[in-house]
Amino acid sequence: MNTSITSIKLVLLGEAAVGKSSVVLRFVSNDFAENKEPTIGAAFLTQRVTINEHTVKFEIWDTAGQERFASLAPMYYRNAQAALVVYDVTKPQSFIKARHWVKELHEQASKDIIIALVGNKIDMLQEDGERKVAREEGEKLAEENGLLFFETSAKTGENVNNVFLGIGEKIPLKNAEEQNNANNERESNNQRVDLNAANNGASANSGCSC
Amino acid sequence: MSFFDTLRQKAPFLDKLADTFTPTLTRDEKFRLKYKLPANENILDDTNAEVSFATPNGNGKEHSDMTNKGRKTAYVFSGRLFLTPHFLVFRDAFDHSSCVLILNISTIKRVERSPSESYEFALLVTLYSGAKVLIQFIGIRYRSEQFCNKLKSNLKQNIPNAKALTAFLETSYSEFLIAKNILGKKDITVPRAGLGQHFKYPGNPTMAKEKAKLRLWFDYFRQNGRNLAVVQTPMFRKLIRIGVPNRMRGEIWELCSGAMYLRYANVGEYEKILIDNAGKTSQAIDEIEKDLKRSLPEYSAYQTEEGIQRLRNVLTAYSWKNPDVGYCQAMNIVVAGFLIFMSEEQAFWCLCNLCDIYVPGYYSKTMYGTLLDQRVFESFVEDRMPVLWEYIVQHDIQISVVSLPWFLSLFSTSMPLEYAVRIMDIFFMNGSITLFQVALAVLKINADDILQADDDGMFIAIIKHYFQTLGQSAHPDSSDIKYRQITKFQELLVTAFKEFSVITEEMAMQARHKYEKGIFQNIETFMKRTQLRHMPKTFNLSSDNLSNIYDMFYQSIETYKISMGTGSSNMGFEVFIQFLSKFCDSCRPFEKENDPAFRKQKRNFLQRLFDNWDSAHIGELTLNDVVTGLDKLLTVDLLQAINYFFSLYDTDGDGELHREEVLQLSEGLLLLTEPWKSGRYVDLLTKKCIEDDIAENIIKENGEEIVTMNQIELPTGVTIDEEKYKAEQAERYLKAASNFLQRSFEYAKAVELAEEINLIDLSDDEDEENHAAKLKRLESIRANPALDPTHPKVIDLATFRMIILADETYELFFSNTLRSSIHVDEHINVNNKNKVLRSMFDGILADGKRVAEQVRRRVDSVATRNSITSAESTPTAAASSTTTKEEKYDDLDDFTSDHQSEHEELLQSSWFEIDDANETNAMQERPFEPLSANTSEKKSNLIEFEA
Repeated sequence: MNTSITSIKLVLLGEAAVGKSSVVLRFVSNDFAENKEPTIGAAFLTQRVTINEHTVKFEIWDTAGQERFASLAPMYYRNAQAALVVYDVTKPQSFIKARHWVKELHEQASKDIIIALVGNKIDMLQEDGERKVAREEGEKLAEENGLLFFETSAKTGENVNNVFLGIGEKIPLKNAEEQNNANNERESNNQRVDLNAANNGASANSGCSC
Repeated sequence: MSFFDTLRQKAPFLDKLADTFTPTLTRDEKFRLKYKLPANENILDDTNAEVSFATPNGNGKEHSDMTNKGRKTAYVFSGRLFLTPHFLVFRDAFDHSSCVLILNISTIKRVERSPSESYEFALLVTLYSGAKVLIQFIGIRYRSEQFCNKLKSNLKQNIPNAKALTAFLETSYSEFLIAKNILGKKDITVPRAGLGQHFKYPGNPTMAKEKAKLRLWFDYFRQNGRNLAVVQTPMFRKLIRIGVPNRMRGEIWELCSGAMYLRYANVGEYEKILIDNAGKTSQAIDEIEKDLKRSLPEYSAYQTEEGIQRLRNVLTAYSWKNPDVGYCQAMNIVVAGFLIFMSEEQAFWCLCNLCDIYVPGYYSKTMYGTLLDQRVFESFVEDRMPVLWEYIVQHDIQISVVSLPWFLSLFSTSMPLEYAVRIMDIFFMNGSITLFQVALAVLKINADDILQADDDGMFIAIIKHYFQTLGQSAHPDSSDIKYRQITKFQELLVTAFKEFSVITEEMAMQARHKYEKGIFQNIETFMKRTQLRHMPKTFNLSSDNLSNIYDMFYQSIETYKISMGTGSSNMGFEVFIQFLSKFCDSCRPFEKENDPAFRKQKRNFLQRLFDNWDSAHIGELTLNDVVTGLDKLLTVDLLQAINYFFSLYDTDGDGELHREEVLQLSEGLLLLTEPWKSGRYVDLLTKKCIEDDIAENIIKENGEEIVTMNQIELPTGVTIDEEKYKAEQAERYLKAASNFLQRSFEYAKAVELAEEINLIDLSDDEDEENHAAKLKRLESIRANPALDPTHPKVIDLATFRMIILADETYELFFSNTLRSSIHVDEHINVNNKNKVLRSMFDGILADGKRVAEQVRRRVDSVATRNSITSAESTPTAAASSTTTKEEKYDDLDDFTSDHQSEHEELLQSSWFEIDDANETNAMQERPFEPLSANTSEKKSNLIEFEA
């Protein structure tokens, strides 16, 4: 059915000031703000896109990047189906941090989580910024760990949407269908998507197995 | 001693009870906290007194239009007067808030005995402003005199400080108001304050009734004093609730938070920190730099270099002042808010008190305070709004997603700034409880909407919308115009401070205490997991080993608080010794430690190891250093183990050890093998010998009857002649050591020297006789190849290996003994001080299974041969077969006199059982008891870590 909606809980992780919030802002509002206030704790945004005649609703958890906020992260990546691990192509340190996040997600997050590695700020290469993380390095890390890989610019918008489209396509269909069943029931009464209902898809189904 | 303490001494169980109470602060601490006084202000004396105030009117400098009531008569407050090194504090006895005087003694101009109508003793204190404070002492005259004398001596000592007063008052806006309006000074300059002076304050000044508010404060200051000498009455608090005018805000925040006292007590400190650290870098500096342009970016001052520079200065100064905290995101926004109303120096001290007194732990490296207060907040929500809480839980909504930034940024990232600063006004007056009250009110007011939300997204949207419309009417549809005029913000204040005034600081403290443990545990689990993940790659350590090493490492560094993130996490040399002694048999302290020569040798060796592990050459080890080092030490590869030991002594890395190095190496070997030499532990060779003997004995006793394992019956009262084994082992080690030295120099190769050193030439002694004696001595030295100075010799790695491998004991030492004496696999329990040290018997018992196998092997061979004549050599072990347990006990006791109790236990639980152990099962299980207890403990710990 074309009208079905899949909800994807997605979390953004990465070092401070690599542009996590900006990537989200570009994706959600197609906008860019030069000096965005740092995210304190986490922010939550949603965006719907259509992928292959299928509506996908992204529920995006944008987290604080500073090291000491890391202990809060599990609260947000809990139950996440997808994650963007973002680094800044001009900051090697941010790439090391990205490695750590990938490790943490593999160990702690749900098993079938889809992870995309995102090298942001490629617009700076056109200006006076110098690339410090080679594209190949990112590709290698992605390949080793089975991640999607993108290089983006939240400032120009380059490649940002592809990240989310890529993830939307990768979310297992079976999972999506299950959710659709659950969601469809909801949709009939209520035009909103309920993540909670999606999580309890099985029980919701059995409740109305006619 | 308090009643409770006495009780506690009598009944230890009360300790447990005491744990559940809020930790009590000392009287001084409470006092300082209440009046926000700096850390060294202890109560020197206190007394009952009646105090009245007189404003400086009628002193000729009359001013124009003031409606001055010329307070000739004044209220007299009765209460308690406290004296600290730099302050006089008075509070009303009946209602602590009706009158509070906080007076820095620098403001005192003169003190005189007041002519008193009664016999009472009174002091008249005149302040710099001309205001007078009349203090009538109540109580014994002698005590009052004492108080006055202390005050007098304080005043004398304070004279240097008092000189700073004039300059300090020039930075005070309240003084400016008075000077301008009462003293009529026209040329007076406005004190340098926040960025708002030039870049405008947030909000609309007309709407906020700035002028009227300023006037109210002016009146208040005139009558009740200001800044360093102020009387706080209920009016003071009311004026704050109404909303502090923007121009006054900086000073009021500074006053309420006590930052003003810090600033006055530390004149010049802020500039000094900036100058001393100019040009230095740190992680905090990098992080600050990233966020400077991201702090209230919409406020115009922060689009200029001036605003950015001020923010940079305050944040970096604080990161240097308190490196344990450094910099935490959200501080930038809070400080950016401060700087609109305050000078850099004011904002700096305000930040200090914010972090230390108001919200300790919020910005710390682990943010434990934030996490804890979020938990406390949730418990308040659950308690006060059960329906809402249930709904939130049901719908899996994370409250902290919205509430965490409220607490961390004092609402300044959530509310429009003009409202956030009003919350901060009250926050600085009432403390952190304000945050809880406002947060609860926000949820309460929006409860109906939240009950419709079914995911985090909607929940967040509701709250966001609410904050954006705070200026709008709370009741837009009401017919009553007055009702309609009430804004949502006013409604919020009323809800927060009326309805939720039941939430008190004490409740928060109690709740914090309740959840503290869980939060700390979570943090520690998380930190551990993260750090273990970032360990260097190890080849010989399992993840369990790493986990144990982590625990032991941080247990050793007592100054480091993992959960609070304070202190250094590196290990110094002394701690390193302690650390190794926890799990390395060779490093455990024992009697020989009393021998200074031995102690020195031990320290030398450990220092060598320490330096080898210290990868950054900073004289400290990180956890990673320790892990890498232990990994090398624990290699299963014999050659690698030998190589590593060699490299410890080959400090110049030339692949050769010179004489001196060889001697040191042999010393190190002697030291490491000491526990086996002295018989405190057994190595595999001895163990095998004992096993053989026992097996032999069993076979001898049971003869041909044994066919299967089940039939094995251990002879009753078997005992082992430990002394014999001990002596044998000691001899073996001594021999190995002497062989080592001998071989080292035998096989060492000579260094090619350019010319032979003629020692005789060096002597300037012409005496024939002496000469001959020297020659002779030289000859004897030469005769010993090891000492011959004329033929320096070196051994290389290959030779070293060969020498080690040539000796069974040393070979075993490197292939097994050393490795198995480093117990990284055992979870060390801090509470269990009587940790079983591995001794001879301990090892054998644990390996009871091996004994059984040994027996089986023998039995098998016996069965094939069908004869028992092989037992030609009667094992000495069985020879002294004793019958009473008593004797056995004594015997063992002799052997390991330093760990009696454990052996007693072991004996009772195992040897005992062998007496009637018919089934091998029993025999196998029993000896394992102490170990299995250990593993189960480890397991339960692991479960906790996962949770």
